[in-house]
Amino acid sequence: MLKQLFNWLRLRHLEQDLGRELQYHIDRRIDDLTHSGLSEAEARRQVTLEIGGVTQLREEVRDVWLTRWVRDFAYDLRFSARSFRRSPLFTATAVLSFALGIGATTAIYSLVDQVVLHALPVREPQRLVVFDWNGVTASVNAFGTYNLLSYPLCRDLQQQEQFFDGAFCRAATTISLSTGGDHVPTAAEVVSGTYFPVLGIQPTIGRLFTNDDDSVLGASPVVVLSYDFWKTQFASAPDVIGRKVLVNRHPMTIIGVAAPGFRGLDVGEVPSLWIPAAMSAVAIPGFDQMLNRRVRWMQVFGRLRPDVTQVEAQAGLQPWFKAMLADDERRPEFPKITPDRRQRYLGSVLELAPAAQGHSPLRRRLSQPLWVLFGATGVLLALACMNVAGLFLARGSARSREIFTRLALGASRGRIGRQLLSDSILVALAGGVLGTVLAPIVIGALIAFLPRDIAATALRSTLNPRLLLFAVLVSLTAGVLSGLAPAFLAGRRSLMAALTERAGAAPGGLRLRRTIVTAQIAVTVILLVGAALFVRTLTALMAKGPGFDTSNLISFSIDPVRNGYSRENADRLIRGIHEEIRALPSIQSAAIANNPLLTGGSWNGQMTIQADQRISTDREVHLNAVSPEFFSTLGVKIAAGRDFVDRDTLPASEGGLCVAIVNDAFAKRYFNGRSPLGAHVGLGTGPDTKAAVEIVGVASNISYRGVREEWEQAFFPLVSCATSGGTFYVRTRGSRAAAIQSIRRIVHDADPTLPLGAVRTLDEQVSRSLTTERMLAALSGGFGVLALLLSLVGLYGVMSFTVTQRTREIGVRVALGATRLATMWLLLRDALVMTTLGIAIALPSVWALGRVIESQLYDVKPTDPTTIVAAAVLLCSTTLLAALIPARRASTVSPVDALRLE
Amino acid sequence: MPSARFPIPQGTLDMLILQILSLEPAHGYGIAQRLLQISKSVIQINQGSLYPALHRLEQKKWLKAEWRQSETGREAKFYALTAAGRKQLATERDYWARLAGAVQVIFDEGK
Repeated sequence: MLKQLFNWLRLRHLEQDLGRELQYHIDRRIDDLTHSGLSEAEARRQVTLEIGGVTQLREEVRDVWLTRWVRDFAYDLRFSARSFRRSPLFTATAVLSFALGIGATTAIYSLVDQVVLHALPVREPQRLVVFDWNGVTASVNAFGTYNLLSYPLCRDLQQQEQFFDGAFCRAATTISLSTGGDHVPTAAEVVSGTYFPVLGIQPTIGRLFTNDDDSVLGASPVVVLSYDFWKTQFASAPDVIGRKVLVNRHPMTIIGVAAPGFRGLDVGEVPSLWIPAAMSAVAIPGFDQMLNRRVRWMQVFGRLRPDVTQVEAQAGLQPWFKAMLADDERRPEFPKITPDRRQRYLGSVLELAPAAQGHSPLRRRLSQPLWVLFGATGVLLALACMNVAGLFLARGSARSREIFTRLALGASRGRIGRQLLSDSILVALAGGVLGTVLAPIVIGALIAFLPRDIAATALRSTLNPRLLLFAVLVSLTAGVLSGLAPAFLAGRRSLMAALTERAGAAPGGLRLRRTIVTAQIAVTVILLVGAALFVRTLTALMAKGPGFDTSNLISFSIDPVRNGYSRENADRLIRGIHEEIRALPSIQSAAIANNPLLTGGSWNGQMTIQADQRISTDREVHLNAVSPEFFSTLGVKIAAGRDFVDRDTLPASEGGLCVAIVNDAFAKRYFNGRSPLGAHVGLGTGPDTKAAVEIVGVASNISYRGVREEWEQAFFPLVSCATSGGTFYVRTRGSRAAAIQSIRRIVHDADPTLPLGAVRTLDEQVSRSLTTERMLAALSGGFGVLALLLSLVGLYGVMSFTVTQRTREIGVRVALGATRLATMWLLLRDALVMTTLGIAIALPSVWALGRVIESQLYDVKPTDPTTIVAAAVLLCSTTLLAALIPARRASTVSPVDALRLE
Repeated sequence: MPSARFPIPQGTLDMLILQILSLEPAHGYGIAQRLLQISKSVIQINQGSLYPALHRLEQKKWLKAEWRQSETGREAKFYALTAAGRKQLATERDYWARLAGAVQVIFDEGK
């Protein structure tokens, strides 16, 4: 096969060669024959007789080079290319249709591949599993995303050698890094010493961590750089080994650079460097609980032994896990919990899940939307295929004479079918090439929908071999699919019937084309309804907003603790900065929060409420600690009670009193409409949890994690009952740029080395938190419009073809007295039937697809009647418009001309 | 062309070409001449099937070809046996010997 392909490429050379060879033979033979007395003409005749015709001989040799079908296919392609050159408009339409479909599909697939499918570039990623604690934990503290376990548990799992070829753990964090100059917030991964060996990562230079770097707490101040970071920050300098960098102000030594292409375990948070878990107190300032079995902050992964399945390993681990639970529960420092909770704690199970792709909150968040969009592009591509199939059918009917003449001359039906198929494959490949050229631009645009900090580090818009292979496969499939209908039709019709038909009256697969258009309309309805639902979700969320006025509101964060400040000094610094900012003339008011709003995360925990009776919250409450004026700065109404005042913020030692403000949702869920003022709450649900914090106010609901949120919230004053915070909310007066300038100066004056993070307006923050929704709305909207255009083109094509075909009939009708309107109606009715039928077919699918996307919607049901009716009306009116042009043409048919057509 | 000669058995042309080339490299015309001699005496060969056969054998890497000067001074394409071709010829020769032997045995039994 390869040999033949090669031969095909050097066909011209082979032909020349053969020509020379045969010429030599003929000349010599003629020479010999004339020497033996024949005349030259006689000799020539003799030679031809001997070798049986040069042309036929050449054909036979060509068969040797290419085998029959490859050669036929090559001829077909050449023939197709020639015929396409003759009808450039047709070709352009078909190629563009394909380019659109293939380009969009390839682009979305690129994101699906990068975010969802791509396995880690490590040794045998399919053997990696992640551990998950299913049941009740006895954790005293947890931070991170999900699948969280403690470091000692990771050490335990490393011992389970009968199931695993090693285990390792990791946690993502952000450090303040200085490589000599400024301190820059930098993503890092805190990992166990087994991380690199178990993953099977090799160093580019230097060495990677081993267990020795992770054995004694605080004893190994070393880091490993990522290849990309080494390249960009150190210009790939080979002498970085041994250099020192400052991690949260602690000097640490670079010992190596990881292999190129390895970017940690989370596609959404690519680390620039790795830090051994033994140094977690440096990487996460103030964290000294690494060896606490009940502090969950890392994801633990294992590499299954080749002879052990995931199910076997999970089952095999349980005896040890149960024993560990029982053992731990008997320890003196085990927290006091209710018997019921204890029971559920002991019933916990350690589960395993495949982790070939690593661990990623981004994947969790994006995988469903991406699959939805991928499905939509698939549908779009199908539409494009149908359009091209329709175009080919039309062309096929125009060519029917040619085709049937060829059939009559003895071409086999299969041969003709293959010729038609090669037409569509050629067009699809051309479309595929164009689409692939466009794909990186589209991918770039898609990535632009995502928050820049994620997209910049994690996602690439370049093409890779996997993507090219995908594009080629998609093109070929599209080509075959859209060529099938015409090819099939060519093989089916009777030769006799075709040749005796009147010119121009070939049915041209009209019924098939109408079926295709009906299907296109059905698919378009689905896409349009989906698009409308996503657009309505986005507008509903934007209209709802975060529950506070975002105009002139900016936020920024500082984290002095990461820069080496003690807790008290950090508090003092933040307080000082706050005072100075409040004094600025360009500032209306300013407040501080412990946790930032609208970033997807929150501080949460269950609470105990002591009112008439003592109850526990049935789910976690979202918590935050804020300064006085937080609510007034954001413009949030205090519906009952009071806001925090300065006295609340004093440390308890200086007479500060810990009080709480809850939101409407909290009051509604747990106080049933009665006033929560005066009730007491406490964090936690154990029997010995003190509910000593008085509720002094009720605030209206605001968005905390995201704009969709309608959840119970509780706020505490900063410092008196919670740790310090570092996110500032500032309402500016006048020029925002000037305000930001002044703020930067104040922070810089307080400490020039303190990085100022995440300076944004709240409008920006709201729009960031709606990226997924915006991406879905924009893309599905775009797809909906494209789909509509494609089906309109399809419908228009069929209608104009019908008019051409029925010209005679229409002429007769007009001659018999049909009015213009009646003639137009004749055709419009056709279009209307196809549209209605298409819509009717689509409705059940709309209902079914609604279930899939329901979780992505907000404030609109997937079966929302208004949306569906609007989509149907839009389709009906546009299809009628598209049909109107050919219908008008029909109405102007003159009976004389029509009859003369014969 | 009426003739008492019998037509060449299927697939034997390849073997004949290999055999001819095992003596020395030759161009197409040379091989044709040689075949003509054979065909005059024993079997009938269509000259037209020579070139497809040559190209087929070249494709199978049993022959290699190069352009060089022929005895008339003009460039001609000379074919020569490769190692694989030599092996193939041995195989075929062996096969024919065994076949002929076997057929002979059957005839002898009938006597």
